Amino acid sequence: MIVHYIRLEMVRLLRDPGYLVMSLISPLTMYLVFNSLDLTGDSGHGGAVYSMVGMAGFGAIGAVMGSGVAIAEDKPIGWIRQLRLLPLRPLEVVVGRALCAMVVTLPPILSVCLAGALVNGVSLGIGQWAAVLALLWVGIAPIAALAIGLGYLLTGQQAQMAGLVCYMGLSLLGGLWVPISKFPGWLEHLATATPINRYGELSWRVTDGDAPSLTGVLVLAAWAALFAAVAVYGYRRSARSA
Amino acid sequence: MTVQTTETASAVEFAGVTKSYGAVRAVDGLDLRLVRGTSVALLGPNGAGKSTTIGMLLGLLQPDSGTVTLLGTTPEQAVRAGRVGAMPQSGRLIGRVTVRELLGFVRLAYAKKTKAVGRAAAVPALGELMEAARITELAGRKADQLSGGQAQRVRFAIAMAGAPDLVVLDEPTTGLDIEARRELWTVVRGYADRGGTVLFSTHYLEEADDHADRIVVIDRGRVVADGTSDDIKRRVPGRTVSFDLAGPAPSLEVLPGVVSSEVGGGRARLHTTDSDATVLALAEAGCIRNLEVAGARLEEAFLTLTHAGTARAEIRAEGGAR
Repeated sequence: MIVHYIRLEMVRLLRDPGYLVMSLISPLTMYLVFNSLDLTGDSGHGGAVYSMVGMAGFGAIGAVMGSGVAIAEDKPIGWIRQLRLLPLRPLEVVVGRALCAMVVTLPPILSVCLAGALVNGVSLGIGQWAAVLALLWVGIAPIAALAIGLGYLLTGQQAQMAGLVCYMGLSLLGGLWVPISKFPGWLEHLATATPINRYGELSWRVTDGDAPSLTGVLVLAAWAALFAAVAVYGYRRSARSA
Repeated sequence: MTVQTTETASAVEFAGVTKSYGAVRAVDGLDLRLVRGTSVALLGPNGAGKSTTIGMLLGLLQPDSGTVTLLGTTPEQAVRAGRVGAMPQSGRLIGRVTVRELLGFVRLAYAKKTKAVGRAAAVPALGELMEAARITELAGRKADQLSGGQAQRVRFAIAMAGAPDLVVLDEPTTGLDIEARRELWTVVRGYADRGGTVLFSTHYLEEADDHADRIVVIDRGRVVADGTSDDIKRRVPGRTVSFDLAGPAPSLEVLPGVVSSEVGGGRARLHTTDSDATVLALAEAGCIRNLEVAGARLEEAFLTLTHAGTARAEIRAEGGAR
């Protein structure tokens, strides 16, 4: 049934293509600008790869946060309540909606990586490309759960504010713009506990020729479990009011 | 409480249910039992506690105290098993999908669940469902671009998509014009006539009168009257008979049809449910000086019932309750 739910929400999404287009403009522009700003302190190939992953991830966060706002806007019309009154398990609805949010991350991820390869001369092996793309997509799952949880819990306007704070704050703190090695020691330490840093790290390790670290995966999994619980709670709660 | 029949026959059971919002007690010790296969109206003015009652019935709200049993189980489980269809109050339909896509999804959700739990009731085919709700010609329309009446019929189709054991409609006709109302009720009646159990809330006595086998009147979160439409009307004074008194007042309240009376300014005013019988009896007694019979509108009578209901202690009819 989750497949049918995803299909319905995807139909709604794809009939509003402006949203998909918006989701790739800002990360793509920022990637092209940031790369020439040389924020990584590595003006060569390493810097181009680093900021490609960073900006693809940044775009992915923006896209999932937009899904949270869309959910918040579904509440006043009673759609969340209607779903709650259908024979669907809350987890089914929440996971379905999270997967929809993840689909929206594909345009920014793919376009930034394409720009990396075509404009900024990023060259990776086929296997590395495949791994980076897959990790950028799958790794966003915890943040997708966070975004839709915020959507269920907050009003449209609040979700927009919270989304913006997460978009900018988590991206910056997670080292998507500037490597966390340039942060003061205590902040660098803190950053490694954030989901976004661990999300970026999955791909950065691959581009450096390593496998993702177990610690990183565990930190991400812990955040995913927490945010999924918040999302299910939010979904169940949101049906009460509207 | 009858133990042996409860499981099978009762669709809904509230036992001592209370729900407050801050200092406001929305539902105040509600006891209510609804039998399957009937149409029941939850009638009450705005703020009587109808929506809170329905919210608890559907498991959207938790009661502060007391228990709600739905189809022999908890509301949440009954909903999860696809045994309930609901049309919540004041919802709109989502955009960018057609009526067919939306209803198809809902129907499938019920169909899969029905199959999984091995429930006997067959989920109707999509075409049949649209036919029954009179929305066939709307199938290709965008769901958020319908008129109020069309949207409510689609929402009713959503409620009955799973051939549920119980359909709950929270003020389904609010905001609709007379024609749209009539069409919606035709569809709901069709469903009820095929054996469905319907519980709807309304603040129109007329709707309850026309479409319910049983009317439960609630006010300030309590049941103030409960019975068939005739039971209720028998207890609602529809007319006022007044006449000049000559001498001491006879015992007016024992006259046929009279529910209550007032005496003042040399005139007696009798509130009666059967003005013909009252007038005849008065004529026999010779009390017809300046006799006047005035009609009370049904709505006014209903207001008398709900607002005076607390003072007039026993207007409870047992008729439909057992």
